[in-house]
Amino acid sequence: MDIRSNRRDADGQSVITANRLLDGITVWRAADGSWKERITESTPVSNTEVEGLLSSLQGKAQELGLVGIYGVQVQDSPDGRIVPVTSRERIRAFGPSVHPEFSPL
Amino acid sequence: MSTETMTRAEAAPAVLPVGRYGYDQVDRTFLRERIEQFRDQVNRRIAGDLTEEEFKPLRLMNGLYLQLHAYMLRVAVPYGTLGSKQVRALARIAREFDKGYGHFTTRQNIQFNWIKLEDTVAALEVLAEADMHAIQTSGNCIRNITSDEFAGAAKDELLDPRVHAEILRQWSTLHPEFTFLPRKFKFAISGSPHDRVVARFHDIGLIARPGPHGRPVFEVFVGGGLGRTPLVGVSLRDDLPEEDLLAYMEAILRVYNAHGRRDNIYKARIKILVQALGTDEFRRQVEEEFAAMDRARYRIEPALVEAIKARFGAPDFAPEGNAAAVLAEDRRRDVRFDAWVRTNTHEHKAPGYISLVVSLKPAGGIPGDATAEQLDLLADLADEFSFGELRVTHLQNVVLGHVRQDQLHTVWQRLSQAGLGTANVNFITDIVACPGLDYCALANARSIPIAQKLSSRFADLELQREIGDLRINISGCINACGHHHAAHLGILGVDKRGQEAFQITLGGSGEEDASIGQILGPAMAEDETVDAVARLIDLYLVRRENGERFLDTYRRVGTAAFKDVVYAPA
Ligand code: HEM
Ligand code: SF4
Repeated sequence: MDIRSNRRDADGQSVITANRLLDGITVWRAADGSWKERITESTPVSNTEVEGLLSSLQGKAQELGLVGIYGVQVQDSPDGRIVPVTSRERIRAFGPSVHPEFSPL
Repeated sequence: MSTETMTRAEAAPAVLPVGRYGYDQVDRTFLRERIEQFRDQVNRRIAGDLTEEEFKPLRLMNGLYLQLHAYMLRVAVPYGTLGSKQVRALARIAREFDKGYGHFTTRQNIQFNWIKLEDTVAALEVLAEADMHAIQTSGNCIRNITSDEFAGAAKDELLDPRVHAEILRQWSTLHPEFTFLPRKFKFAISGSPHDRVVARFHDIGLIARPGPHGRPVFEVFVGGGLGRTPLVGVSLRDDLPEEDLLAYMEAILRVYNAHGRRDNIYKARIKILVQALGTDEFRRQVEEEFAAMDRARYRIEPALVEAIKARFGAPDFAPEGNAAAVLAEDRRRDVRFDAWVRTNTHEHKAPGYISLVVSLKPAGGIPGDATAEQLDLLADLADEFSFGELRVTHLQNVVLGHVRQDQLHTVWQRLSQAGLGTANVNFITDIVACPGLDYCALANARSIPIAQKLSSRFADLELQREIGDLRINISGCINACGHHHAAHLGILGVDKRGQEAFQITLGGSGEEDASIGQILGPAMAEDETVDAVARLIDLYLVRRENGERFLDTYRRVGTAAFKDVVYAPA
């Protein structure tokens, strides 16, 4: 796993992400365990819990139809939405900035 | 597809594609079998019989990457030449399997950023129907053989390199010994003394010229490359005879294959081996291998070259007539057309003809992006005006190679109506940019938005003309897919604690005077970078002497003054 994707502080919170096997689209895990195309529908967990959750999910990637499950630290943005702390994950969440019409939001 | 193709005594297809090799039934059958094999692999992956770790190398062998937002399919354009039917196949893939775009790269590939795994086999079938594929566009094998976008057309060309590019393609495709090299391996070949293929930044760069008895000889550059350790290739020999081309290439690859650093990915390219051994020792080992080989087995007889050449369609140039006079008159009557002709055309060897460059860099646009509609239009224009043939350039533009001069005005009007008439080739807005963090899983920073901002900032054509030739290349990480090291002004995206930042390099060139750009100083934010570039340009305009390009002024004046305007603005 790329270190940039794992940049997590001890006391922050993270969402869990992956790419769908069939179409490669980026997805984010919601509280009910479903996987959403919009990060706004996902639910953060505290960074103390994230590793445990990840290791249980990573074992189930095939049955979930996912590739590359990992955790992404987020913070609250001024408008109350959660936003990844790194540029890379913001772009994964909000789509290529150069084709805004391709954004999942 | 393999060396056996070359010994196949089969009648050439009835209608030969102009500028490239006509596939035969053996080639087509091979592609079908390969697609069926991949279909099976995809099905097994979806069913869970293959894990991602097992499947990844298999999809990469078929050009399928997993990027930030989706799968990306990379399709090779051998020596950069495409037929109109092939371009329509690419348009179809863009329309049916992507979000309406194809993206031209710096190595004569086209990439599709939104291909579903489920659709990949169907996309490969569309490619195969047009004699195309995505094999060897990834992995540690010999990648697409690139060539001059004006091959077979340029007035300054000494010989058309595409026949030898095809020989190298057939030799390298699925070569059993070179499918698992220490790292990927890139060839470029040119037949012009003016290096338009970045030969000196390739693992092997070949410059062909006519030799004794009318047969070609090659200058062989080895060990160039960009990426983490940018190096200019060294000239291994200047006089390689045509008949020994494959034997010598094979000798180089064997030395590399035997000694390349498989233990360390950062040291695995041939450039590191050449540096580690030193040019003389590397050359000695290649010569030793070469001398020990059964050279007769590899000898390329003139008859073989002629047989390959006979499988290429040649344009039937009409007599000159008054085409040149018509063009001169069209230019007099239309100043915008005249400006475009000055920047976007290249002299043709056939009287009355000209090559034109279609800029895929409109003001504020995404370098290298083409819509399905634009691809279809390019195919139509190729059919109507250029013998059904197009080329793609390593600078992310497209070329119509052979247009009659009296038809140029019509072609330009049709291009302009589709947003493809931008008159900026080799100007400051003719920017090369890799996909960067907008798509690429390896990126540190976005490349395209900075290209768009610079392109908008300098959109004024008068200003661009005033600035003159200036190559800006942008990469989103040290892998240097955007060739930033080889730019007069390069921009490199770096990661600063999770945020995007940019470094400027100055003084690179990818041509005969190849050089590696020098890093100017610490990285800065995107907007600061755009402003810094503007100040660099201002300084150049003040300091330049008669007729100097930006690169000339930089080389004469040196780094310090440029550094001052970037980091200590007045
Ligand atoms: C978006 C997906 C891409 C990925 C994942 C990717 C991956 C890479 C990697 C890992 C390297 C470094 C290899 C090395 O030098 O050891 C590299 C280099 C390179 N790539 Fe890409 N690349 C991508 C897109 C492109 C594009 C769009 C272009 C052209 C615009 C391109 C052309 C090149 C070139 C010319 C190099 C330089 C190799 C050299 O001379 O050392 N790549 N790429
Ligand atoms: S230079 Fe880096 S960011 Fe750009 S395409 Fe290559 S690997 Fe991706």
